[in-house]
Amino acid sequence: MSWHADDGDLREYAHGALAVPRLWSVETHLAACADCRAVLSAYVQPAEIAAGWARLDAELDAPRPGPVESLLTRVGVADHTARLLAATPVLRRSWLAAVVLTLLLAVGVGLAASPLMLLATAPLLPLAGVAVSFGPGLDPTYEMAVVAPMHTFRLLMVRTVAVLSTTTALSGLASLALPSFGLAALGWLLPALALTSTGVALMARLGPVLASALVGGGWTALVVLNHLLASGAPVPFTAAGQGAAAVVAVVATVLLVAARDRFDSGRPLDPSFRSLRSFRFASRRLS
Amino acid sequence: MTPPTVSAAGLTLSYRGTRVVDDVTLRLTEGVTGLLGPNGAGKTTLLRILATAMPPDNGAFMVLGQDPGTVGGRQEARRRLGYLPQNPGFHPDFTAFEFIDYVAILKELTDRRARHAEARRVLEAVGLADVRGKRIRRLSGGMRQRVALAAAMVGDPGFLVLDEPTVGLDPEQRMRFRELIAEAGEGRTVLLSTHQTEDVAMLCHRVLVMDKGRVRFDGTAAELTAVADGRVWSSAERQPGARAGWRTGTGEFRNVGDPPAGARLVEPTLEDGYLLALGRDTESGVAA
Repeated sequence: MSWHADDGDLREYAHGALAVPRLWSVETHLAACADCRAVLSAYVQPAEIAAGWARLDAELDAPRPGPVESLLTRVGVADHTARLLAATPVLRRSWLAAVVLTLLLAVGVGLAASPLMLLATAPLLPLAGVAVSFGPGLDPTYEMAVVAPMHTFRLLMVRTVAVLSTTTALSGLASLALPSFGLAALGWLLPALALTSTGVALMARLGPVLASALVGGGWTALVVLNHLLASGAPVPFTAAGQGAAAVVAVVATVLLVAARDRFDSGRPLDPSFRSLRSFRFASRRLS
Repeated sequence: MTPPTVSAAGLTLSYRGTRVVDDVTLRLTEGVTGLLGPNGAGKTTLLRILATAMPPDNGAFMVLGQDPGTVGGRQEARRRLGYLPQNPGFHPDFTAFEFIDYVAILKELTDRRARHAEARRVLEAVGLADVRGKRIRRLSGGMRQRVALAAAMVGDPGFLVLDEPTVGLDPEQRMRFRELIAEAGEGRTVLLSTHQTEDVAMLCHRVLVMDKGRVRFDGTAAELTAVADGRVWSSAERQPGARAGWRTGTGEFRNVGDPPAGARLVEPTLEDGYLLALGRDTESGVAA
């Protein structure tokens, strides 16, 4: 090595004060020059070395984000929010497999006859997903989450967004598989928003299981009765039906926001918790 | 005198016509307070109320100077309390570190570096630094319980609520857990629910005995033992008048209750006092 790094530069480098491009130059040189490394070591304080090791140690410990989390962070979602989104309990392979299977079946029926099966089924998927991603007995960390200072409502919204966007993307792909029906194959979208927002709004009073069962049951009854009794296009998927779904979605969202503090008291979600506990207790006594 | 960490008056909660928590009034101060009681005594419900996991039907309470009955007060209280539920749940695919990281996010630690430092600190405190990268489903029951304790300790809470943390642990794990709880009780208020009288004898500066939703005793462990002074005796035969009686390893019967005249009295234990406190709600020395 015919030249060596400037002494002043090494000092600044040691204290983390050297700016680019000199930083790059000195760093490249240090990698190849033992003499300069020896000089550098005299300038570095033990505390700085310890802090450096601690930083390295912390980086090695840090959880490696999965593909979903990495993608979310890359598109600008804060790392802590990305972690909350990725930790949504239902976004596991078993749930996603069930969603994909349901949609495949619906598409299969759609290819053979009409898209009604897809239109009727797709709105139920996010509703069911939200119901099983939040609440006692369904979310394993529910109790820890409810006593955490983060607003329970915010956590619920994060998970609702996670479930809704996943099922919407998958249902959208299913609609693409039915191109012959054109935009009519997307008729599930507004009912999906209406059902999910109504279900979540009712959760504030009824708990996740009962609220979702009522809303899902109501939707199924509406579609089946319409199919049996009415002739012509199914009402929920006509322009009037879609308009009604949009209105329901907006009204339910307004009611949900108004009731947001109820989620934090722990009470609204408790009826199902209690029945679940008594069920567990009874089954333990029977076994 | 330092203000109590928790003060509650007239806490009541009914479920299906039964008062699960019935007019409970208490004050908790720094150190470990034990909550003893049989299954179904209402311990878990009381703990859930004090941990702000559910509101009472009636009564008022303050936690760390905040009123959990209001939205703002509840959130402030939650910022400074840690709760280990009776059956702590986990995301089993998370590593211990990832789980604590997740709990730290729920506790509003959004800065990545500070959050990770906190996760390392609490895992170190419960002796799990070496297995922090292991998935939770691969950890033993005792280790999982320690992960749950670490989660409760995130953010260095001033009030720690522990619901039967030693259930299901083997004696060695239980001993390790007691050490951890004793350490946690230094400089903060810990409310420990248990039905193990040894836990209370070894750890707690104060004991509450609860039965059928009510606090039956409130005092020190020595005072609870003293409830049985003069009320434990040994005999060669089973004593029909004894509230509890069993044959010991020596072949003699040990009896707890109201001794007959001339009975051979023996030294009472904390458990004897506990047994009597459960059944004595009107006599002196035992709170109604």
